[in-house]
Amino acid sequence: MRRHGRRRRKKRDQGTVVLNLAAMLDMAFQLLAFFILTFRPAPIEGQLALNMPPPEAVITKTPNANSDGTIGDVLSQNTLHVHVMATEAGDANEVKVEETPVTQGHFDEANRQRLDKSLKSRFAGATVPYDRVQVNVDGRLRYGELMKIIDVCHNQELPDHTPMRKISFSEIDSGGAK
Amino acid sequence: MSEMSSESADPNLTPLLDLVFQLITFFMLVINLKGASLDLSLKLPVLGSARPVEQHGKLEPMLLNIDPAGRVHAYGREIDVEAYVAKEARLLTEQLKQMGTPVQNGEMPVGVTIRADRAAPFHLVNHVLKTCQEKGYRQFSLNAMTREGK
Repeated sequence: MRRHGRRRRKKRDQGTVVLNLAAMLDMAFQLLAFFILTFRPAPIEGQLALNMPPPEAVITKTPNANSDGTIGDVLSQNTLHVHVMATEAGDANEVKVEETPVTQGHFDEANRQRLDKSLKSRFAGATVPYDRVQVNVDGRLRYGELMKIIDVCHNQELPDHTPMRKISFSEIDSGGAK
Repeated sequence: MSEMSSESADPNLTPLLDLVFQLITFFMLVINLKGASLDLSLKLPVLGSARPVEQHGKLEPMLLNIDPAGRVHAYGREIDVEAYVAKEARLLTEQLKQMGTPVQNGEMPVGVTIRADRAAPFHLVNHVLKTCQEKGYRQFSLNAMTREGK
């Protein structure tokens, strides 16, 4: 017994501990294979954050008083209406701000700038009557086209330099689009 | 011959193991755990001004994928949007009540993330938006690509 113990101590003093790394390497390779096989790079996505109150019905231009003498919907007076019409193929055909036509035809970069300028002029004053935008959209319009228009609305700033985030949508009758 | 068989090659595996561990660390860091909820077949609209995806609060937003035909997918399966949103809203209401922050004025404090294909007609997307609004959702994130994919 004593001789055994002496021999073991002698070995420990002289030699070095050699770990078998092969098993650990096997496991590490298995983990690596799992991660490689399940790897799906995340798409580079961004987002437009919107506060969307429920849409209101499209109203007449002078809603201050109803025919029965009651006060009109105060909320709707704070709303800037943008109307977007579409072609059969789903492209933007015409964009109006309130009743004023702003763009005609395909919504390209020139039309984008035209709409931006029109909206900026409405939001430029020190006291802007609007705190939200309602986009009345032709049901046939493709979502990709709509997003370009929302983007322009989203880039507007209120007089207190807060960005426009209150945007709602309403579908307008496109003559059998559904 | 006998000398050759008694010899054994003993390569030093430590650097190889180090390398493999570094690769594992890389993949663990870049793994996309939310990938299951995204329908990667959709072609999202491209908007340069879209901001990076942010999340406020502890609760996850409800993520809905809308394909060009207006079918709504969540976690890889097609769903009936009315039933799904109603169920999510009910569960969220219960969860918030348990957390001591009940829903106020019927407005959900959690957002909805919409990932819709750029070719989807508006009336189909609007149907999903209206369904969510009816259940009290007000905060929406419309996802878009920040640049055209390959």
